[in-house]
Amino acid sequence: MFVQVLMQIAVVVTVMLVITMGVVVGRRRIRRTVGEYRTRLRAIAPIVVVLATVLLFNGVARQIVPDLSWMIGWNLTWEIYALEGEFILWLQSYATPPVTAYFSFIYIYGYIFMLIFPVVAYFALPDTRPLRELLTAYTLNYTLGLVCYVLVIAYGPRNMMPELVEALLYDTYPRYQHLTRQVNRNTNVFPSLHTSLAVTVGLMAYRTREAYPRWFPIALVLAISVSVSTMYLGIHWAIDVLAGVGLAYVSVALSARLVGRWSLADFRSHASGARRIVTRGD
Amino acid sequence: MDPYPGDAERRVDRRTVLAGLAAGGLTATSGCVRQTRSVVNRDGAEQLSLTITTVPSDVDRESIRIARILRNNLEAVGIDVTIDMLAVEEFYRETLVNHDFDCYVGPYHGDMDPELLYELLYSAFADEPGWQNPFGFTSLTFDELLEDLHESPDEDRPEHVADVLDVLADEQPFVPLCVPEELRLVRTDRFEGWDDHHLATRLGYLGLEPLGPDDADPPNELRGVVTDPRPTENLNPLSVEYRERGTYVDLLYDSLGTADNDGDEGESGDIYPWLAESWEWEDRTGAESTTDVTVTLRPEASFHDGEPLTADDVAFTYRFVEDTSLDEGPVAAPSPRYRGKVAAVESIEALDDRTLEMSIETGRQAGERALTVPILPEHIWAERTDEASVFGFARRPGATDAVVLDNVPPIGSGPYQFVDRSERERLHLERFDEHFSLGVDGLPQPTVERFTTRVAPRSASAIEIVEENDADVTVSPLESYSIEMVSETESVRLHRSPSQTFYHVGFNLRQAPFTSPYFRQVFARLLDKAHLVEEVFEGYARPVATPLGDDEAWVPEDYRWGGETGTGSEGEDEGEGEGEDEGEGEADDPSAPFLGSAGDVDVSRARRAFEEAGYRYDDRGSLLVRQ
Repeated sequence: MFVQVLMQIAVVVTVMLVITMGVVVGRRRIRRTVGEYRTRLRAIAPIVVVLATVLLFNGVARQIVPDLSWMIGWNLTWEIYALEGEFILWLQSYATPPVTAYFSFIYIYGYIFMLIFPVVAYFALPDTRPLRELLTAYTLNYTLGLVCYVLVIAYGPRNMMPELVEALLYDTYPRYQHLTRQVNRNTNVFPSLHTSLAVTVGLMAYRTREAYPRWFPIALVLAISVSVSTMYLGIHWAIDVLAGVGLAYVSVALSARLVGRWSLADFRSHASGARRIVTRGD
Repeated sequence: MDPYPGDAERRVDRRTVLAGLAAGGLTATSGCVRQTRSVVNRDGAEQLSLTITTVPSDVDRESIRIARILRNNLEAVGIDVTIDMLAVEEFYRETLVNHDFDCYVGPYHGDMDPELLYELLYSAFADEPGWQNPFGFTSLTFDELLEDLHESPDEDRPEHVADVLDVLADEQPFVPLCVPEELRLVRTDRFEGWDDHHLATRLGYLGLEPLGPDDADPPNELRGVVTDPRPTENLNPLSVEYRERGTYVDLLYDSLGTADNDGDEGESGDIYPWLAESWEWEDRTGAESTTDVTVTLRPEASFHDGEPLTADDVAFTYRFVEDTSLDEGPVAAPSPRYRGKVAAVESIEALDDRTLEMSIETGRQAGERALTVPILPEHIWAERTDEASVFGFARRPGATDAVVLDNVPPIGSGPYQFVDRSERERLHLERFDEHFSLGVDGLPQPTVERFTTRVAPRSASAIEIVEENDADVTVSPLESYSIEMVSETESVRLHRSPSQTFYHVGFNLRQAPFTSPYFRQVFARLLDKAHLVEEVFEGYARPVATPLGDDEAWVPEDYRWGGETGTGSEGEDEGEGEGEDEGEGEADDPSAPFLGSAGDVDVSRARRAFEEAGYRYDDRGSLLVRQ
């Protein structure tokens, strides 16, 4: 069943990618990329290696994080609940089947699409800096997120209020829980990595809006939808989502500072802070 | 909890006062200073704060819901409540091992034999980790009643049970809430014989008959699905944190006798010789009703690693459960599981390889129950007596390797042996071809070659997996919320086993306010059990007044749910002219009638009950205690 779910996701996300590539990137950029892909790959190779290492480490570390957390961590579930009260309940009071279907789709498919698309789109730009910044920001998200997960134990709203907060995703589409259980452990809700990665993509889309004017509004809608979906589906508290936005901001700001600083490939780049990336493709 | 919540405040107070004294204090007389000291160094009354410990909904949806309802009711009567949700292993470690809790909500899985009262409440167990007296209840007079019950011959047990329940209803060291129904989903097109035995026990998975659809080969793999990943992480029979019903341990290990609990609801079931070929009971009549039992083991028994299973292994197991350090540790390290059962055995001695003599201090029923302890291989467990520690540091006296090890791979002698596992995903067992049951007619046998189990995240997905023919049975019972999702067909049906579980609220009697029986009595009356059953269990449970599941065999009618009020602090509420809002709950629960109706606490009655128990309220309606 796990494999089936994965296949389905792969097909749907691929279709979404192909369509959006056509609309946002355009045929000319793609053609040029085919000619230049070697040099671009060389430019992004270091950060790809770093990200891959972090992801691999993350996969292993996630297995032991709960054990570490229960030894050293703070269990903040009650504090979060006491602080934000029943916001999630209020949000779910607007639940209707179409809205649930929309947010479930966003949470699974929209999110995965959102992470992959900018990687492909930025690869189609002659300047590799946006892509390097994006991958650096992903790396920072995963690294800082993991630190938070070790330090903080928090269960999501559906674990605290099962009867009020319907676990909409899992009860409507039980098969998806195989997916998320493989990927996440249920104590890892603070911060929301779904939110932080989606917002990271949104912030990067803002910074690259001159190169990809059509991507920014799409990314904005998706980023907001993903953030809301995590709360609407009862997976995250509002505080997790706020922390996720904070993590995204920190990751993007840090990556803007870090990228180019120790770069082997990009000597000419001015290692300026949060300057907007102006990339006039061709 | 902060042990001295008022302390920081007090220090500040003292400093402020001293500053005041320094400024204008020269005129103060010594009497005035003494009086000031008397006030400053005195703790005042504060609002009572409690923590309810429980598990998140992914582990047990019912427990967290009960905990939240309980919290609302307690807050309504002026008590400040925090809920502490712990991972399930942490939950059991904090409550049963560390005894670090105020009160908890959770299930108890057992056989509902009256002996469980002895295990749960006998004073001498209060300091031990595990299910033996986790509440820290100590009472000399109650101990006498428990001893009478423990040692009583079978025919006198009901009378002693009544005596114990009588006092129990007053003491309320824990509040039994309800017995949930035990429902599983089974595929009847692949196997037959699901109804022969209880599906939480080893026998449930033996003697199944594989069905070949249309002359195809019958299945040689039994596919289970669980919603609890713990059997894929740890297979230690003695680990209290990782075991609920112990179904897998039951299949991997043998015991001398095996319980066949497929009788009627609540019946504790008979115990038949299993690893023992036979046993002989000899009552030694006299002042002390001691019984001797001579056990003969089956000749062909061996462990999965090929070592023979002898009487020495059996004798070792019973000594080991009592003290896993085998008298070598600085303090005794009793096993957190099976301790209550082993308590019936006074002494055990191996006469030769196949014969044992045991002296039993209880009657026969309780004694046979002691024969259901899994037999451990001495050559493996005798090495596990060292004090538990991390690389020789962080030593934990009173715990040994035996109780902290994952015990993977487990070497038992049971009908199935361990092959492989993938943590939190799969557990793979295969038939132990040397198992004695395969050579003895009339015993249920492991008919299927392989027994694979996968972990599903929740009951909803477990149901889907069985319905799509990816599994044959939900080894974990279904959570009550999911039962409505089942669509029974010709090949998939719901299977009901007599329930051996009761939900309860456990109190920690080692610390205030639960040291006070008066407080516990009122607390117990703040939960509407009938309402919980409807609300939380969606009707798939029945409320109970006693921990014995209100079993007719043991519990006199007056003490059962729906029985006449017999005990408790019932009397004082009558005749106060409030006849109308005395809810229906009142008549049903003889031990702790609900202070309210239809799930809603009657705040003024509850406050009055607390006030009569000696507690005071401030003007904001907070229940005050001395810290």
